[in-house]
Amino acid sequence: MQAMVATRKSRAGATLLALVSLLFTMPGHAQLRLDITQGVRDAVPIAVVPFGGQAEGGSNDIAAVVANDLRMSGRFAPLERRDMVTRPTSGAEIRFEDWRLLNSDFIVVGRVEPDGAGLAVSFELHNVQTGASLLAQRLPSNEKGLRATAHRIADLVFERLTGIPGAFSTRIAYVAVDGKPPAQRYRLIVADADGFNPRTVLESREPIMSPAWSPDGQDLAYVSFEGKASAVYVQRLATGQRSRVSARAGINGAPAWSPDGRGLALTLSRDGNLDIYTLDLRTQTLTRVTSDEAIDTEAEWSKDGQSLFFTSDRAGNAQVYRVRLDDSRRAERVTFTNGYNARPRLSPDGKELAMVTLDRGGYRIAVMDLASRNLRVLTDARQDESPSFAPNGALVIYATREGGRGSLAIASSDGAFQQRLSSDQGDVRDPAWQPFGPRT
Amino acid sequence: MQGFIKEHLRPLAGSVGLHVVLVGALAIAALRWTSQQPPVELAIQGYLVDGPAKVRPLSEPREAPVEQVPPPVEAVKPPEPEVEPPPERKAEEVAAAERAAAEAREQQLAQERVAQERAAQLAREQAAAEAQAKRKAAEDAERKKAEAAEARRKAEEKAQAEREAKLRAEREADLQRRLAAEEEEGAAAAARAGVMDEYRLMLVQTIERNWIRPPSARAGLECTLYVTQAPGGTVVDVKLGPCNGDQVVRESITTAVYKSSPLPAPRDPRAFERRLEIVFRPKE
Repeated sequence: MQAMVATRKSRAGATLLALVSLLFTMPGHAQLRLDITQGVRDAVPIAVVPFGGQAEGGSNDIAAVVANDLRMSGRFAPLERRDMVTRPTSGAEIRFEDWRLLNSDFIVVGRVEPDGAGLAVSFELHNVQTGASLLAQRLPSNEKGLRATAHRIADLVFERLTGIPGAFSTRIAYVAVDGKPPAQRYRLIVADADGFNPRTVLESREPIMSPAWSPDGQDLAYVSFEGKASAVYVQRLATGQRSRVSARAGINGAPAWSPDGRGLALTLSRDGNLDIYTLDLRTQTLTRVTSDEAIDTEAEWSKDGQSLFFTSDRAGNAQVYRVRLDDSRRAERVTFTNGYNARPRLSPDGKELAMVTLDRGGYRIAVMDLASRNLRVLTDARQDESPSFAPNGALVIYATREGGRGSLAIASSDGAFQQRLSSDQGDVRDPAWQPFGPRT
Repeated sequence: MQGFIKEHLRPLAGSVGLHVVLVGALAIAALRWTSQQPPVELAIQGYLVDGPAKVRPLSEPREAPVEQVPPPVEAVKPPEPEVEPPPERKAEEVAAAERAAAEAREQQLAQERVAQERAAQLAREQAAAEAQAKRKAAEDAERKKAEAAEARRKAEEKAQAEREAKLRAEREADLQRRLAAEEEEGAAAAARAGVMDEYRLMLVQTIERNWIRPPSARAGLECTLYVTQAPGGTVVDVKLGPCNGDQVVRESITTAVYKSSPLPAPRDPRAFERRLEIVFRPKE
C-alpha cells in the first residue's frame, strides 16, 4: 500500500516534470524571462571621428573638442583616434560592424563645409549597436567659432545620451595669481568650461577674491582690494562696465546672488563682527540677517530665495547653518557630520549642498543631500576648496592645492570620478561655474 | 555482516577447507571405486533401465496380492490314506478291518468335511480377500485417481501460480522499467532545470555587464524588452515593451542587449530559448 502510494506520488511528480519539460521544449510559446537589477557605472564608449573638411590636430579640431568635453564629464570614454580604422564623415559611410569590433556604443561623425560667407558644421550621432540614428544637425559657424560649435555639439550629444543638458558651452570664472609678494599680480579670468580661451576680466596688484555669477550668467560679483581695502564689485562681462556695490568699513566679502538676481548676500564686519547681510542692488537697502557673536560668512541662497545657508563657528567649529530671511533670529544647523563643514554651494536643482568638509584629515569636497542629510565625499586630496556646481549639476569644479600651488579640478557629483584641469596660469583658485542663464 | 565475516574468516576458511578436503577425498574415492568396479557400473545401468518398469506398477491397480495367495486346497489337502487293506486277513481282522475302514471312512468323511469346511472357509476367506483386494484395488484406483486428480490439480495450480508469478514478475519488471524511465525522465528534467538556471544566470550577467546605467535609471524603473535571438545567440530583434523610463533609458537597455550579442549559449542546447523577455528593474 505504501509502495503504491509512493509509486503514485512519484508518478504524479514524474507527470508534472514531464509536463514542465514539455512546456520547456514547446517551441514558440515559451519566453525565458530575465530580471536585470543592476548595471555598470562605466563610462560610455563613444567614437568621435575627426570631422571632414578640417585638418586634424589643430586648435579648432571639432572632434577633439567634442571628445575632450565628453571625457571631462566622466560619463564617456572616447575612442582613441589611433584605434580608428576608417574616417566616415556621414552616417551613410559608417560601417557599424567596424565600430562594434572597437567596442564603441555610439559614434559621432561630421564635416565642416563652407556656408555662404561662413561655415556650417554637420554632425550625426548613431548608436553603433543598433545602427539607429539619434541626432543629425547642421550648425552655422565661422572660423573663430568652431570651438564654440564643437562645445554645442558636445552639449547635444551629452544630453541625448544622458538626459542631462550639457554644460560644455558654459564658462568658468577663477582667480589666477602669479609673482611673489610684494610683486604679485591678481587676475580675474573667465574661460570656456574646458579651460580654453581664458580672458582676463580684471587685473590687479591687490587681491581679487570670491567671484560669483549672476543667475543670468551676465554679471560677475567679486571682492577686490584694489582700493587697499576690500570692496564688492559687480561687473557686466559683455561690456566690462562695473560698479562698486559695497565698500563699507571693515570687511566686505563673500558676495552671493539672490535667485532673482536683484540682490546680494554679503559678509560684512561693519558692526564689529562678521555677519551676513543682504543688499538690494537697486535700492542699495542693506539688511542684517545674522547677529551672532561668532563668525558668520559665505552665504548661499536657497532656491526659493527665502533663506540663506552660511558658515558659522558659533558651535566652536565651522558648520553650515540655514536661516530664514523672515525669521532671522533663529538659525538651524544643517551639517553634523565631520568637525568642519564650510562654504556651502547649492546644486542647480536646489536639493544638494556642495561644501568643504574635514574628512579623515583632509579638507575635501563633499555633497550633502538636503533631504536625507547624507554626506558623500567626492575628492580625496588634502586641501580642496571653493566647490561650485556645473549648471547641469553633473559636475563640481573646485580648487585644489598641491605644493603651495593651486589648480582647478572637476569631480562628478556622484563621486565616480575627478580630474585635474591643466593650467599654465600659475596659482589658480576660487572657481565659479557660470549658470546656464537664458538659453539661446 | 562484513565485520562478522572478517571476524570469523579464519574458522570459516578452516571449516570450508576441511569440507573441501573431505568432499574432495570422497569424490576421489568414489571415482577410484567406480573406475575399479566396472560390473557395478553395468549393474547400475541395469537398474537404471529397470527403473521405469518397476515404477510403472505403482501407478496401476495392485493385483499382486491375489497372485501371491497360494491355492488353499492344494496346500491344505492331506496325503491320500490307504483305503484297501490286504485281502488275505481274517474275519476279525476283516471286522477290525471293517471297523477300521469305517473309522477310516468316518475319519475320511470327517477329514473331508473338515477339508470341505476348510475349503469353504478358505473360499470364503479367499472371496473376502478377493473382495477386499478388489475393494482395496478399487480404493487404490480411487485414491490413485484422486491422487492423480490432486496431482493434476496441484500441477494446474502450480502452473497457474507460475503463470501468475510470471505475469506478476513481468508486470513488476514492466513497472520497474517504467519507474526507471520516469526517474530518468525526472532526472533529465531536473538536469535541464539546472541547465536552465545556469543559462538564465549567464544571460543576466552578460546583459548586466553591458548595461551602462544612465543617471535616470533609478529604483522604480521598470522596462521590458522582448528579444528574439537566432540559434547562435545573435540578437535579431529587440522590441520595447512596457517602460516607464525616458528616452535615454530606452536607448541604454536596447544598446545593452545588442551589445551582448551573441548571447551566451546554454550547456544543453535544449535549454536554448529563442524568445526572451528581459525586465530591467534596477535596485538603487
